[in-house]
Amino acid sequence: MTHLNNQNSPFIHFHQRINFQFDGKKYHGYKGDTIASALLRHGIKLIGRSFKYHRPRGIYTCGIEEPNALVQIISEHSEPNVRATIKKIYEGMEVESQNRWPSIEFDIGSVNSILSPLFSAGFYYKTFMGPHKSFWKKIYEPVIRKAAGLGKPPKEFKAISSHLHHNVDIVIVGGGLNGLLAASSLIDTQYDILLIEGDNQLGGILNNSSKINEINGQRPQEWAKETIESIKKSKNIKILNNTLVTTYNYINHLIAVEDKYVGAKPAEDKVNSTLHKIRTEHVILSNGHIERFLSFQNNDLPGIMLGASFEKFICRYGVIPSKEPVIFSNNSNSNSLIQTLLELHIKPKAYIDSRSGEQIEGELFELIRKNDIPLYTNSQVKAAYGNKKLEKIVVQDSSGGINEITTDFLCVSGGINPDVHLFTQSKGLLEWDDKDLTYKPSKSFQNTITLGSASGQFNFEEIENELNQKLKIFNVNKIIIKIKSNTASRYQIQKLWEVPAHKTSMWSKSFIDLQNDVTTKDIRQAISEGFDRIEHLKRFTTNSMGTDQGKISSINALGIVSDLLDKKVNEVGTTIYRPPYAPLSFAAIAGRNSYEFYDPERKSPIHQWHIKNGAVFEDVGQWKRPWYFPLSKSETMYDAVQRESKTVRESAGILDGSTLGKIEIKGKDALQFMNLIYTNSFTKMNAGSARYALMLGEDGMVKDDGIICKISDEHFIATTTTGGAANVLACMEEYAQTEWPNLNVYMNSITEQFATFNISGPKTRDIMSKVFPEIDFSNQAFPFMTFQFHEFQNTQLRIMRASFTGEMGYEIYVPSNSALKIWEQIQEAGKEFGLTPYGTETMHLLRAEKGYIIIGQDTDGSITPIDLGLNWMIGKTKTDFLGKRSLTRSDTVRPDRKQLVGILPLNKEDSLEEGQHILLNESLQTPVPMLGHITSSYHSPIMGHTFGLAVIKDGRSLIGTKAFASTSNQKTIPVEIVKPIFYDEKNERLVS
Amino acid sequence: MLLIECPYCGPRDQSEFSNGGEAHVKRPDGSQEISDREWGEYVFIRSNPKGLFYERWVHSHGCRKWFNCVRDTSTDEILKIYKLDDPKPPLKDFENKIQTPSGEPDVGSGNFTVKK
Repeated sequence: MTHLNNQNSPFIHFHQRINFQFDGKKYHGYKGDTIASALLRHGIKLIGRSFKYHRPRGIYTCGIEEPNALVQIISEHSEPNVRATIKKIYEGMEVESQNRWPSIEFDIGSVNSILSPLFSAGFYYKTFMGPHKSFWKKIYEPVIRKAAGLGKPPKEFKAISSHLHHNVDIVIVGGGLNGLLAASSLIDTQYDILLIEGDNQLGGILNNSSKINEINGQRPQEWAKETIESIKKSKNIKILNNTLVTTYNYINHLIAVEDKYVGAKPAEDKVNSTLHKIRTEHVILSNGHIERFLSFQNNDLPGIMLGASFEKFICRYGVIPSKEPVIFSNNSNSNSLIQTLLELHIKPKAYIDSRSGEQIEGELFELIRKNDIPLYTNSQVKAAYGNKKLEKIVVQDSSGGINEITTDFLCVSGGINPDVHLFTQSKGLLEWDDKDLTYKPSKSFQNTITLGSASGQFNFEEIENELNQKLKIFNVNKIIIKIKSNTASRYQIQKLWEVPAHKTSMWSKSFIDLQNDVTTKDIRQAISEGFDRIEHLKRFTTNSMGTDQGKISSINALGIVSDLLDKKVNEVGTTIYRPPYAPLSFAAIAGRNSYEFYDPERKSPIHQWHIKNGAVFEDVGQWKRPWYFPLSKSETMYDAVQRESKTVRESAGILDGSTLGKIEIKGKDALQFMNLIYTNSFTKMNAGSARYALMLGEDGMVKDDGIICKISDEHFIATTTTGGAANVLACMEEYAQTEWPNLNVYMNSITEQFATFNISGPKTRDIMSKVFPEIDFSNQAFPFMTFQFHEFQNTQLRIMRASFTGEMGYEIYVPSNSALKIWEQIQEAGKEFGLTPYGTETMHLLRAEKGYIIIGQDTDGSITPIDLGLNWMIGKTKTDFLGKRSLTRSDTVRPDRKQLVGILPLNKEDSLEEGQHILLNESLQTPVPMLGHITSSYHSPIMGHTFGLAVIKDGRSLIGTKAFASTSNQKTIPVEIVKPIFYDEKNERLVS
Repeated sequence: MLLIECPYCGPRDQSEFSNGGEAHVKRPDGSQEISDREWGEYVFIRSNPKGLFYERWVHSHGCRKWFNCVRDTSTDEILKIYKLDDPKPPLKDFENKIQTPSGEPDVGSGNFTVKK
C-alpha cells in the first residue's frame, strides 16, 4: 500500500521495515511508526469495539487524546488499554483489539447496539438496584459487567521502574515551537532548566503540520534542528524526551513519567519507566492545544478523524489516511490541512464549513476555488453512514437542501482548546473566551507561565510579543522571531456544538463521549431528570469519565448543556481536571517500593535459628515472629501449642522477645519525665528494680504497656509493645518538646541494639545457673522485678527477673551481635531440663491463663486502667501524668463501662471463640441486648477446656453470674462470668 | 506535595513530615482543679477553619523536631513557619483571602463549581 506513504516525512525511516501482528495477522510498518500509523498504511480502519454498545471504532486522533483506538499489547504481559496513536511498533510486537468476541469483524456484544434504547443515561444506577439482591451477584456482575469494558487485565505482571528526583529553577512542559523559543532564550543563563517533551523528538507543531512556512528566514525543520542543537549544547538545560508530565501539584511539584522503551520491547530485567519527581521554582506550560470534534449522527464511524490529526499523520508519520477525504469544519484551524493535501497533489473530495462565505478567510476561499474543490458554506454534516466503516455522508447546504456524498474518510474540526489540564491541576483559574469559544488560562495560582496555544493565544504573529512580555521576569534578552505561516492570520470560529440529527429513531446516535459511549441524547435526558449541575451530569452520564478524560469532547458537552439550560458557558462552569493527565501504570508509581521492598520485613538476630528449627512465622507489624515450633510436619498448630504450653508449665520454655520496643531515657529530669508519661510512680522505686507500667492517652485510655527499668533517677530503660514502639517514642518526644521543654531529658530507640530472651518455667533457675554459673539466682540475691548487669563472654548482659507466663522467669537482654551465640548456649544447656522454644501463640495462651492483657487485643482504645482492674498501677500521690484528669471524668467513672472479666464454658466440651458476644438471656429474639464480647480465647492444657477473657458492661459486678455466648449458627453457649485469672492466683509460682 | 521549610533543616518534601493538628492548644496546668468540660475541651475539641490556621508539624523523617506553621487551608499556602518558642504571629499579619464564611478564594482552591 505504498501509495498511502508520504515519503517526504523526515521522521519515518522508510528503509527500516518492522514486522508486527494485529489480531493474529501479520503487518509491517517502518521505524518511527505508531501502531495507528502502521495500520493506516495498510488501510486498516477498524481497531476496536466501543465500551457499551460494541460499535465498530477506528482511529480518531493522532495522539494522547485518543478515545477509541485502545489496544492490548500481548507481547508486553498483555498490557491493556494502550493508545495505538502513541505506542510505537517494534519487531515482533503482538497487538490485539479489545472488547470484542469472538472477533472484531463479528462481535456478539454488538447486540447491545440493538438493545441500546435500554441503556440510557444512569443505566447502571437504575437497573442494578433490583429486583432482588441476588441479581447483582448472579446476573449483573458476571454478565453485564463483562460485556461492558475496555481491555482485559493482565494475568501476570512484572514491571520495573525507578524514581528520580529533580530540584530545578524552571521546567518547560512541551518542546513545541513556544517551548523551543523559551528554552533557546534561556540558554546559558543562571537557571537550571528541564525541557520535557512527551514525543520522542522536539518540535511539536513544526513536525505535525505545515502551518508554518518560515521562521526567521529558515525552513521550520532547519530552524528546529539548529535550535535543538544549541539547546543541547547549553550548560543549564536538560532535555527529557518520551516523558509525559501527568501531574502538577502544589508547590510547583511535577510528576512526569519517562518511557525508556519507545519503539523497542521492554527488557524483563531493566527499568522500563522512570517516574520523575520534580520540584521547581517556575513552570512554563507550552504544551499546546487539543482539537475537539463535533457531534452529528454516527460521528463515531471508522473513517472519521480529527482534521489536525489527519494532517499530523501525513507530516509527522508519513502516512496519508485517505486520498480523497471530505473536510468538515467550523473554524480556521483546518486551513493548513488543505494546504498540506494540495502540496501532495491530493484534492479533498469536498470542503464543508458551517461558516458563511464571507466569514471564511480570503486566502482559503481563493485556494479552494483555484483547485476546484467542491465547497459547501453555511453547511453542516447531518449524518454519516456505513457498515463498520464510513461510506457516505449527508450534508445540509446553505439553502437547506440535503446532499449525499460518497466518501471513505471525513476530517472533522470543532475548534481548538488550550491544553489546560496541567494549568487547572495547578489550581490556576480559567476564563471562558466568547470569541474563541473555549476556556483559557487566566490567573495563575503558582509560579506558572503559559505560552502560545496553551495560553489560548492562537495567532503566530503574537508569539514574539507574548514571549518578551512573559519571560521578562527571567531578565532574558529581547527575543526576535519572525514567522510566516500558512494558516489564517487570526484564529476564527463559529459556534457549533451539535448538528441536529438527519432522521431520528430510538437507535440513532450522536456521540458526545466516544470512549464511554455517551450520546447527546443522554445529556438531554440527564438534564430533564434534574441533573443540571455539570458535576452531577458528568457522573450520571459518565461523560468525560473515560481514560481519555474527554479531551476532545468535554468542552462540547459544556456548550450543549449551556444551550439546553439557556445559560452562558461560564455560568455552567467546568468540571475539575484532576491528575493524572493521562493514565500511568501502578508500576511507575510504585518504583522500587515493590515486591520485597514494598513492606520491608524486620527479623530478630535469632531468625536463622528459628528457620532451622522449623518455626512457623507470624507477622507482627513488620516483624516476623515465630508463631509455634512444630516438632514434625504432622504436628498441627493446636498440638504444638498445647505441647509448648505444657512444657513451660512443667519444665521450661524460651521465647524470642527481641521485637519488643526498647527506649532509653536519660537526663537530669528523667525521673520527673517518666512520672509524667506513665501512670505509675517511679520516685520511691530503687535503682536496679523494674516495674510493669501503663501509658495512657490524654483521654485516659490505655495506649501501651511495658516494663520500666530504673538504672538511676537520671537513667531509665522502657520496653514497649512490639507494634507500639514507634508511637511511644514519638509521644515521648512530642511531650518533651511541646509541653515540658523545661525538662532536661533525652530519649532514643534501642530496639534493634538488643535481643531479648524470655525464659520461664519451674526449671528456669537450674538452666540459668548452668549457663551463668557466676551469678546467684536465689530469690534473696536476685528478687522478682529486679535486674542486674553482668559481663559475659566479652559482652554486657542485662538480666531481669520478670515473667509474662505466670511461671518464674527471666528476661535476658543481649547486644544483637552476640545474641545468636548466647541463645544457642542456652538451648544446649537447657536440653537436660526439657527446655523448649515456644512462639507467640503459646505466649498468648499462657498470659491469658494468668489474666495478663495484650494491648490492642483485650483493649481497643476505649478501655481505661480502671476498666482493666489495674487501679494499683495508678500513682495515687502523683499530681499529674498523661490522661490522669480523664480518669475522673463523668464518662470514665460511670459504673456500666465495659470491664475485663474471665469467661468459662459451663459444658467443658463447648468451645469459646474470640469475638463472640456475651448475652444475659438465652433468647436470640432481636434486638438482643449485648453486654460485650470475648477478646481472647484459648484451649488450656492445664484446665482441659477453653476459656476466655472478655470486656463486659459492668462486668465485675456480674462475676459469678451465668450468661451466654452467641455463635454464628444461631445457638448460644452457656458460660459463667468469672474473675480474669485462671492460674496461680496467689502468684506463688511467679515469685518461687 | 507541599514544600515545608523546617526551621532546623531547611526546605523539604511534605513526605518527611507529620502533621500535629492545631497549634497553641496548651495543656491545662493544675488539671485536677478544672472542670470536666474544660478538660474535655482540651482533649477533644479542635478548631477546623477554612482559611488561616495555626498548626503543628514534626519533621518525623528528619530532625524529629516540632514546629509551628500558619497555613491557609483553602489554598494550602504556608504563610509562616516559626519555632515552638517564637511568639504566635497575630492574624492581622496575614491576608485572609476568603471574603465570606462559605466563600472560595479567588484563585487556588480549584473549586470552580462553588466559586461565585
